[in-house]
Amino acid sequence: MKGKPALIFFAVALAGSASASFENASPQKAGLAIKDSLDRTVSIPARVERIISIQPEISRLIVALGAGDNLVGVDYTLRLRDHMFRIIYPKEHNLTLVSMAENNINLEMIMRLKPDVIFVSPYERQIVKALEGKTRIPVVALASMGNFTKLCEEMRLVGRVLGREKRADELVAYFNEGVDRVRKSLDAVPEQKKPRVYLSFWGSLTRTPILYEPVNAVGGINVAEKIAPDILGSVSTKVNVEQIIRWNPDVILVHGHYPPRERTMTVDEVLADSRLASVEAVRSKKVFYTLGFWDWWDMAEVMIETLYLAKLFYPERFIGFDLIREGNAIFKKFYGVGGGFSELCRILKCDEWTHE
Amino acid sequence: MSNRRRALCIFIYVLPLLVFLFSLYLGPFHIPLRGLFKTLLSPLFPSFKQGLSEGYISIVFGVRLPRLLLAMMVGAALSVSGASLQALFKNPLVNEYILGISSGAAFGAALSIVFLGQHFPRQISAFAFAVAAVLAVLAVAKKSDSPIVSLLLTGVIVSAFFSALLALAEFFASPYALQGLFSWLMGDLSMAGGSELAISFPLMGIGIVGLILLRWRMNVLSMSDEEARSMGVNIGKEKFLVIFLTTLITSAATAVAGIIGWVGLIIPHLIRMMVGVDNRRVIPLSAALGASYLLLADDLARSLASFEVPVGIFTSIIGIPFFIFLLRKSRKIWL
Amino acid sequence: MSVRIKDLTFSYRNFSLHVQNLQFEGAKITAIVGPNGAGKTTLLKCICAILPAPKGSLFIDGRDIIAMPEEERAKLMAYVPQEHTAAFNYTIQDFVLMGRAAYISLFSTPSSADVQIAHEALEYVGLRHYASRPYFQLSSGERRLVLIARALAQKSDILILDEPTSFLDPKHETELLELAKKLAIEKKKTILVTLHNLDMAVKYSDAMVFMKKGGVVAQGKPDDILTETLLENVYEIKMTIIRYDGRKLIVK
Repeated sequence: MKGKPALIFFAVALAGSASASFENASPQKAGLAIKDSLDRTVSIPARVERIISIQPEISRLIVALGAGDNLVGVDYTLRLRDHMFRIIYPKEHNLTLVSMAENNINLEMIMRLKPDVIFVSPYERQIVKALEGKTRIPVVALASMGNFTKLCEEMRLVGRVLGREKRADELVAYFNEGVDRVRKSLDAVPEQKKPRVYLSFWGSLTRTPILYEPVNAVGGINVAEKIAPDILGSVSTKVNVEQIIRWNPDVILVHGHYPPRERTMTVDEVLADSRLASVEAVRSKKVFYTLGFWDWWDMAEVMIETLYLAKLFYPERFIGFDLIREGNAIFKKFYGVGGGFSELCRILKCDEWTHE
Repeated sequence: MSNRRRALCIFIYVLPLLVFLFSLYLGPFHIPLRGLFKTLLSPLFPSFKQGLSEGYISIVFGVRLPRLLLAMMVGAALSVSGASLQALFKNPLVNEYILGISSGAAFGAALSIVFLGQHFPRQISAFAFAVAAVLAVLAVAKKSDSPIVSLLLTGVIVSAFFSALLALAEFFASPYALQGLFSWLMGDLSMAGGSELAISFPLMGIGIVGLILLRWRMNVLSMSDEEARSMGVNIGKEKFLVIFLTTLITSAATAVAGIIGWVGLIIPHLIRMMVGVDNRRVIPLSAALGASYLLLADDLARSLASFEVPVGIFTSIIGIPFFIFLLRKSRKIWL
Repeated sequence: MSVRIKDLTFSYRNFSLHVQNLQFEGAKITAIVGPNGAGKTTLLKCICAILPAPKGSLFIDGRDIIAMPEEERAKLMAYVPQEHTAAFNYTIQDFVLMGRAAYISLFSTPSSADVQIAHEALEYVGLRHYASRPYFQLSSGERRLVLIARALAQKSDILILDEPTSFLDPKHETELLELAKKLAIEKKKTILVTLHNLDMAVKYSDAMVFMKKGGVVAQGKPDDILTETLLENVYEIKMTIIRYDGRKLIVK
């Protein structure tokens, strides 16, 4: 338990530096060789029918690709802490739990489930090694670290592994189109109107991601963006309260991706913090909740988040825009469920702040 | 006492003030000396507020001051409790971590965060489990023929047990609480502010003052129990008092600042090397040097990079090699 | 100040001590002798109550010491352990000052009067010039003297010395017992001492107590009680007593 934060530091460093990409592999051939986030080349069998994913982000992608029923095992995190997965994949309670998200793997259970491929996060390299060495099953370590391009690459890669390239391309195109539409509508925003944003994430005023692309996508500037080398990634950096005062952001976004019971940092708390009284965002009451991300990303949520932020920063350009309706449409497109986003908002009580 | 040694003592007592003033100046938000001076005096002379930049007052009084005070208090608390426990157990290697007090307190505080929420004062649970840990250590060690060895060994075992419980608590924690737990466990002074301080400050204050008052008694308690008893010490009562006070301050410090290792071991050692083993000097000087040491370590934590590094990392990174250096240089003369 | 013991019983693991009736005279040296494991040290520790309370009664000048609070008892009698193994290397002065514990309240520190008393005690054992030396630098003979000085600082009438001469060479042994004699005469101290050297016991003590297997076999003036039969009974070997210079000497 003591090594954990440091571990996250270094794991993120290695995860962020390697990007998922294709390697050759002609479609006619029996197997498939891919390169994962750890730059390992992994041979995948031609037909992948049984999948274990202990990487929540990939589990969601698999459901989006329509291959949810090929999942035979997932991680506890998805079951215990994810309020979204049971919405997008109602059969999730049938899935066997094989580990925590990153570690404590039940090796025997994994072997009993006889998967064709195992998806893991690249956080703990020794687990990747141990899994592959002991099970002789191809292990793919993937993470997008909150980067749009990497998220799309990852979707295509998983699509390829599952033989669902068409669906993957379709979703990537849908995603890019949606984000581009937002970008285009913001083309004419003058530079000085772009807000400088501080993100209070993970239930703490002083924890912030140094990379958060939805903010950049809508023309915002993440004030913490340059404080640490990029490879330290979007996971979590701790800053000094003084530093926040010094940055003097125009907007403060508070991680709202939690049901109220689990919220340890609230908008009201930020507004009432006397230390922040001189900060522009607090003075002009521009402190808002945002969806943020939780245990890894989800493409549908990233899209919704981007739309939400666009509307939040430039309300005059998005009059009549209905986030809940748009969100439900996006969920429908990705996961084929109706009213999914409404349901998520109900659980997280984020209708309190997504409605205006 | 030689003049040189006397000068050294005075220097150590003045050091916290010097380091405090230096640290007050330090920080990501640059405040020029003149501005800092005016800000500090502004509560006394309201006219000084004119012309002060917006954030100065909230940075100095809202951010820096509470944090520096917490660093000093925790540094003093851990050093004093380390020195006292070393005397009480007649063993210069004992400290609150080895006796399982820190682990017990950390588990108690984590349990409180996970199940009772962020706003419930976690000092209560921290203290309860710190007491449980120390009682377990003492009960097991008492049954042995070689109390000192078994004390260390039992301490290690009890610490490991509470660390395991802590891992279990983490398993049940929501990801929100979890993120908080991680940084806090590594030792983190940035939480300074709010009700936690209001509770922990007086507890640490009482403990530090109490142990400083007991400083000479600690000499007598460091004799064998038989000797101490024959010299008129009510061993049971006085041991209880010292363990109560050290557990109180350690759990209060752990509840707000997490586990900050090595301070309680290194500071008293340094003091003993410089001024001898008389606890009349060792205990108050440890308080002063411990306060300065943690302030400096926290200065590194908050100003080395734009992001924060848990201060516990620095106390260990600086402390351990320094400790090895001391051990090599002076062998065992202060033992 | 006299010490009177009645029906004292103390059990520890598989050893038990039982003393029916024992009396120590004031301002005299009483030597407690007997083979290893006879219970000499246990008896001493029972008397100064550093072992958990024994059954029976223990009186000093009619005052019950078992029920007495520690600090009261410490003002009446001081215990000098056989050996002191400290974790910390205190200076001699700090060390002797600890003898004042019973007079100094929990939350305070020694006054200059206490320091004065410590210096006098050191003066008496001839180590005044060592005051600022660290304890571990002393020889084992000097350490014994420091332990005695600490007991003197306790200002008690009764001094209990647990094998003070073990591991000492004959010169230091004699010096130490001379010091004890001086204390009994000059300072009117009641001294209880365990000894292994029977000749020294005979020479320096005013009274002797012979112990065996947790009980008292004989007590009285050395001249009165010392017989070859007693010695054989206690030590289970034959010894011969000869007279030399008006004093009994033991030949093994």
